[in-house]
Amino acid sequence: MSKNLVNLNVNPCKMCMPMGSVSAFYGIRKCMTILHGSQGCSTYIRRHMATHYNEPVDIASSSLTEEGTVFGGEHNLIKGLENMIELYNPEVIGVATTCLAETIGEDIPRILKRFYDSHPETNVKIIPVSSAGYSGTQYEGFFKALRAIVENVEMRPGKNNKINIITGMISPADTRYLKKLLEEMRVDYILLPDLSDNLDGQHAENYNRLPEGGTSIEEIEMMAGAKMTVELTAFVKDENSPAQYLYEAYGVPYVRCNLPVGLRDTDDFIAVLEGAGGKKTEEMKKQRGRYLDAMIDSHKYNGEGRAVIFGEPDFVLSVTRLCTENGIMPVVTATGAKSGAFVPMIEKDIKKVAGFQFVDSYKILDNTDFDNIEKNALELEANVMIGSSDGRRIEEKFNIPLVRCAFPVHDHVGGQRVRMLGYEGSLILLDRITNTLLGKKEHSFRNQLFKKYFKGNEEVQAPKLKADGLVPVKAGKLAATKAEIARKTETHPCFNGCGSQYARMHLPIAPKCNIQCNYCVRKFDCPNESRPGVTTEVLSPEEAARKYQMVKEKIPNLKVVGIAGPGDSLAEFEKTRRTLELIREADPEVTFCLSTNGLLLPLYADELVQLGVSHVTVTMNAVNATIGAKIYKHVDYMGNRYYGEVGAAILMANQMAGLKRLTALGVVCKVNIVMLKGINEFHIPIVVAKAKELGCEITNIMQMIPVKGSAFENMPLTSNKEITEMRKKCELSMKQMYHCRQCRADAIGTLDNDQSINFRGCTGGSCSTEEKKEKEKMEEKPILFAVSSKSGVLVDQHFGHATDFYIYEYKDNNIRFKERRSVSKYCDGSESCDGMGGGRKEGKIDAILETVKDCKGVLAMRIGEAPKQRLKENSIETYTTYDRIEDAVKQFAKKIQAQHLVNYGT
Amino acid sequence: MESTILKERKEFIGYGKASTIKCESDSLSGSVSQRACVYCGARVVLNPITDAFHIVHGPIGCASYTWDIRGSLSSGSDLYRNSFSTDLSEQDIVFGGEKKLTAAIDEIVEKHQPKLIFVYATCIVGVIGDDVEAVCRLAEKKYGIRVIPVKSPGFSGNKSYGYKMACNAILALLEPYKNIPGTQGVNILGDFNLAGEMWLIKNYLKEIGIPVVSTITGDASHDSLVKAPSAQLNIVQCAGSMTYLAKKMEQEMGIPYIKISFFGVEDTSQSLIRVAEAIGTEENIQKARQFTKNETDRLKSFLDKYRKNLEGKKAAIYVGGGFKAISLIRQFNEMGIETVVVGTQTGKAEDYEIISSLVGENTVILDDANPAELETFIKEKGADILVGGVKERPLAYKLGVAFCDHNHERKHALAGYDGVINFTKEINLSLNSPVWQYVNK
Repeated sequence: MSKNLVNLNVNPCKMCMPMGSVSAFYGIRKCMTILHGSQGCSTYIRRHMATHYNEPVDIASSSLTEEGTVFGGEHNLIKGLENMIELYNPEVIGVATTCLAETIGEDIPRILKRFYDSHPETNVKIIPVSSAGYSGTQYEGFFKALRAIVENVEMRPGKNNKINIITGMISPADTRYLKKLLEEMRVDYILLPDLSDNLDGQHAENYNRLPEGGTSIEEIEMMAGAKMTVELTAFVKDENSPAQYLYEAYGVPYVRCNLPVGLRDTDDFIAVLEGAGGKKTEEMKKQRGRYLDAMIDSHKYNGEGRAVIFGEPDFVLSVTRLCTENGIMPVVTATGAKSGAFVPMIEKDIKKVAGFQFVDSYKILDNTDFDNIEKNALELEANVMIGSSDGRRIEEKFNIPLVRCAFPVHDHVGGQRVRMLGYEGSLILLDRITNTLLGKKEHSFRNQLFKKYFKGNEEVQAPKLKADGLVPVKAGKLAATKAEIARKTETHPCFNGCGSQYARMHLPIAPKCNIQCNYCVRKFDCPNESRPGVTTEVLSPEEAARKYQMVKEKIPNLKVVGIAGPGDSLAEFEKTRRTLELIREADPEVTFCLSTNGLLLPLYADELVQLGVSHVTVTMNAVNATIGAKIYKHVDYMGNRYYGEVGAAILMANQMAGLKRLTALGVVCKVNIVMLKGINEFHIPIVVAKAKELGCEITNIMQMIPVKGSAFENMPLTSNKEITEMRKKCELSMKQMYHCRQCRADAIGTLDNDQSINFRGCTGGSCSTEEKKEKEKMEEKPILFAVSSKSGVLVDQHFGHATDFYIYEYKDNNIRFKERRSVSKYCDGSESCDGMGGGRKEGKIDAILETVKDCKGVLAMRIGEAPKQRLKENSIETYTTYDRIEDAVKQFAKKIQAQHLVNYGT
Repeated sequence: MESTILKERKEFIGYGKASTIKCESDSLSGSVSQRACVYCGARVVLNPITDAFHIVHGPIGCASYTWDIRGSLSSGSDLYRNSFSTDLSEQDIVFGGEKKLTAAIDEIVEKHQPKLIFVYATCIVGVIGDDVEAVCRLAEKKYGIRVIPVKSPGFSGNKSYGYKMACNAILALLEPYKNIPGTQGVNILGDFNLAGEMWLIKNYLKEIGIPVVSTITGDASHDSLVKAPSAQLNIVQCAGSMTYLAKKMEQEMGIPYIKISFFGVEDTSQSLIRVAEAIGTEENIQKARQFTKNETDRLKSFLDKYRKNLEGKKAAIYVGGGFKAISLIRQFNEMGIETVVVGTQTGKAEDYEIISSLVGENTVILDDANPAELETFIKEKGADILVGGVKERPLAYKLGVAFCDHNHERKHALAGYDGVINFTKEINLSLNSPVWQYVNK
């Protein structure tokens, strides 16, 4: 089994039976459907259909509750039928069961009989269909409903000259086309179902909530006397087939053809109609010619197509046949339904294309899910997907464009107008597929060829992706004079070799990272740990600049500002740029240092130099993709996520290109190497040699700190001795750093003394520690108000119903929120205090009074006379209003103050 | 001619100020309720937890129809955007689905080493006798990770009950962390980070210097959630779904809560100030006052400009809960738009009491309305715009009425100051679109 998870369906490529049944009933004139089950089924199905068809979709539910589930839903179902008839006055009602109804064993025919017995006046035709969601997909549900319709309508078996046309789920626009074709060919037909008007209505002066279009019962009655049936599906089982039933019960002969999609199947269908007396028109011949012409015009573009086709079995078969007749290779064909016939039927066509294009690998999947489709689409390098909107996540994630032409299309408009039937529809769909392939190529070929053939030169390391494609590549300004840099290196604690004298400060402004190293879990907030990637707070550039100035005042030997994450300093370059600009404005002297994984270094190297960055550290753990793949889980680059060796190769190529550019511009570069036992320990000397070749100044071989939760959490710790030995070994070719302390992303101070904890939460203004010392200058005692509020926004609760009070204090013409008090806390313990209104009323009022007894006033939406009196006895004023809490308290406070003054005056 | 209001529905409909209507009842069969189910409510609340495996134990439909349809955004894992289903078949209905569920959990643990799995029990799971709780308990023991059952059979109540079940699942997750040491800051409850709204609110709080400890559940992860018991205060936004959790956290973890609202300029401002006043320093309060004043000033000229396009129009509102309906009526009042029809799927008696005191004499108030009633009253009251969910949109358009999408699928923020701008623009562009000129009203 190739699936990632065999015991779960991950991202379903199917819907359930009721969805199909409801859709089929939408093709019947003046028909409403009720789902016998709980409320959610109808709501979810309505939501899906409403977004696809952009039409109001009214489906009733018998709204089964716990009681109905235990004692049976007869009462609910009968009530539901009565209400639907009253509200919609339908001529037909479909009763489709759900999982719940089937599982509790509802006997629908018996319930319907009781309904008819108790409603002798009704002339509504009620058609039950058994459609448990777990018994099949929407495809089976659709045909089961059609079968139930022909079985339940009383037929008029007298012979007529009509032809029954039965279809699976096709769009309203395709249905209209089908009807037009039949009329043009002068075929006398009965189409079942016909959802062309009901699910693609017009805007009219009056809106009819009951669907007025569709196949009428009178037409259906005549199906038993038709001269033949054409059933347009390849996979329907005989027990669900309306054609089979009409044949068995009334002897109506039938043929089954594929949906008329593509040249061959449209030819076949027209031939069948001709055989039944239909006339081919000149216009039809022209349409065929035009489609054939387009097939030829586009065949070379289509030949590059590697398609994923997914959906209902009939849809997949039809589109596969359209693709294969045009030379598009369907590398993955998939359905969520279970169908034994699916694989052999599809394979016949695919083999031919695979044969002439020498494609030796393709997948035909039935009973599958999108997790599996995605996996195979990637493995087989698909470049187009054809199906429903459910493919959109794969489109988004992997940039494989999706042609939306199957139900449901809910993220684009026009689901109801999708065309693929007949020569005309085939041409429309083919053009959409071809144009998608052309669009994909147009957007990617420049970059692809660049990557493939352009091997780099001194000036340009990576293409600058700008809309106009005309970004001039600057010659590059040198970082600073050699002397300046040397001076800066002298005062840089990480580069000068004796870190104790000068202080540096790491600003944690860059939380995002674009690669995942297996030794890293970037957990914020762990002040006891000291290692890269860890920080307590993430600052905005403005806060970072403020913090810098504050720290500089307290630690005058602060010479270096570093940006070391906690993510990657280039992953959100805007933030880094802004921070450096702001600090440079305030301090032209300070040294800028930056550490990065190097992934985006080629893109920003020149700009870093212009911003005045003089020291850069790149963590480069390997220069070999096989080793790199063991260290990096994935790499996010230019909108894609790359895994394994591909990801590692991209990262390492950019690290090296970036370093080379920086050293050429005079920047002092350091390479950090994390020593990983069993992974890169023997490879480190090669990395060091490469760093030297790229012009780096120093390398820093570091210990891996195993972090809980990381992929390497159980890896053995490298001992100090081993690290020192490795450094000694590499020292022969390159200067080594011996004094590294593996700093936090928000470290402040000298290497030996991290003071960051003292500055935490200080982003300007005064520090919280100092604030604590600030004395409250409370001279006058504030007065308190209690607000009865439910929403917490408005004074919107009756005093007697209060469960919470928002307490405000008023002082010096200002109000201030103090706390929320819960009445239940002041409760005397009796049941009446639960705030639910029941029980002894006084107990509740007592609790409320207790809650507000220290207040001067109470605000509520309403209050009864008795409690008002009791409050007054305790000298608490009341104020009833319906207003925003803060506004109300202000008004009330003013009023009380005025009163107070008056009282005081007299 | 068919009638438009069923007899049994009449007591669920009221007119104007001080009307009281029946609510909090089961939906009437056959009336075409717009409500969803318990499972839906539970899924709404838990789905934004980004790194959890959300396993739907049941037939495929429940998982299929809820796969990645909500606009909750993530700054970390994308796992929550997948839909995992045990895809029960006929055979499982007969022999039970416990084995399948156990195998599914085993496989996920083995291949993905998750920290957190939610197992949603759907309609038929209880009926066929699966003991989901026992399966989850066993898996927790076996693997030492959290496997939390969510009791959400569709028929066991309505959407609000599902919220409660989800809150219970969150409480189960927090249980072992109840006594962790406290830190400074708040938890934000009841925002689901639709279109980045949680980020917006966090930015505001950062602006005024109030740390956010945990977010429930917008853009949450296992690790961020378990920090929640250390917060000083819970601030509760979507009161309908989260008050229960806030109350429980107050009782069990001693974290007080306040309700706030980030919909509308004034509500957003007052809420920020109140949060600062509740736990902040004098400096935080000053910052909050300054920040909210700046934002209010920024929006004033914008709103003045739009007001002339909106004043005097009439709105109909049909949304999920009371909180949203109330805040919409008030936002419309601020714009000079009168609300002529208002209803909710699961509003409570107190919600309707507030609603009735907010609206005019002739406004129709409905609980658990159906399309026929909406159609009738939109026409009768001459509403110019309907605010609602996805299912109501085509109805509005068919009636020739503008529409505002206030649902979980939207791709633009409606909360905070930016939300006011988006909301006002959306109302204006639908209300005043040229297309209505061609419709005969």
